Amino acid sequence: MLQLKMKKQEEKISKIIYDLVIIGGGPAGLTAGIYAGRARLKTVIIEEIITGGQSATTELLENYPGFKDGVGGMDLAMIMTEQVKRFGTEIIYGKVISTKLTGEIKDIYFASSMIKAKAVIIASGAIPRKIKAEGADKFHGRGISYCATCDGALFRDKKIVIVGAGNSAIEEGIFLQRFTKDITFVQDLPYLTAEKILQERIKNYPDTKFYLGTIIKSINGEERVESVTARTVKENKEFEIPADGVFVYIGYIPKTDFLDKGLKLDGQGYIVTDENLKTNLDGVFAAGDVRVKDLRQVITAASDGAIAAHSVEKYLENK
Amino acid sequence: MAVVKVYSTSSCPWCARAKQYLRSKNIPFADINVATDRNAAMEMVRKSGQQGVPVIDIDGNIIVGFDQARIDSLLGIA
Repeated sequence: MLQLKMKKQEEKISKIIYDLVIIGGGPAGLTAGIYAGRARLKTVIIEEIITGGQSATTELLENYPGFKDGVGGMDLAMIMTEQVKRFGTEIIYGKVISTKLTGEIKDIYFASSMIKAKAVIIASGAIPRKIKAEGADKFHGRGISYCATCDGALFRDKKIVIVGAGNSAIEEGIFLQRFTKDITFVQDLPYLTAEKILQERIKNYPDTKFYLGTIIKSINGEERVESVTARTVKENKEFEIPADGVFVYIGYIPKTDFLDKGLKLDGQGYIVTDENLKTNLDGVFAAGDVRVKDLRQVITAASDGAIAAHSVEKYLENK
Repeated sequence: MAVVKVYSTSSCPWCARAKQYLRSKNIPFADINVATDRNAAMEMVRKSGQQGVPVIDIDGNIIVGFDQARIDSLLGIA
């Protein structure tokens, strides 16, 4: 019965031609959904995990305007999601496995169904870069984590090593202070790369240790993580740091592997757009962290979403 | 009816997705927050060997992460 119902639903989906499909329900995709809904475009947002994307895992966003005391990442994601729905934009959950973006009508494929649309905004974002060190695969989920707000509570009073010292690393390091004081940052560059205000704040935790100009050579242990072996970049000196948990914040990689090969990407896989967020393919636009840009923040993603939806509206008008 | 437990924390996207999925299929489950319940956290680590959420227990079968195919097969849904 259920099978039949699902099959019917899939068939139904494939017959509709949307004006716009937005791949990704983070701040860029949701904002595009708000603008497209208000422009009365028949729009669907496809989200793989949960709306809000990476921003939903941020404990507190302090630099998003309009919230003077900051806003929880998950809370903001929920508000944006409700806002999108108000304007008639649909949200569906699923994993896009491939696309056919050339031609007038664009095809978006799931494992067992597809969607057609006249225009596409790719707002699939980026995922955390995985650490490449001996033991990294072995201990994934057994001490290595990429999400402090998800897994931090499992390391109460434990020893934590944070890899990286950019914004995410320092923010999450401050978050983790509520569970443990034994926190060590290890960063390959010889200085902190986080914003100044975050650098000031982490100094309020005097027990925090920093090894800058240092890389992680291996993650060691029997069943679980017990230590990391670090190595200084300059002197090539190796030493052990005891650790129960390793939280990794060493940048991101764009989620573009499922897209048409004809789409123009830069050397790192980010989508190249013009200032109206058009890609090299007609009717295909990109917004948010997935595209080539300098500053990847919730506000710049939201801005991209608005611009991309506006560009889609103009594109469809001129058809 | 299968006994389903979801070990999760409140700010984990895959946990939210897993719970949303179970709700969409009308599967009742125990929602166990390991951030606030330390005993449950220890139980989860012991059962799964995992120190990451979500962990889903379906009649004693442990699923790590949101593995939709395994959830479907253990619950007998398509």
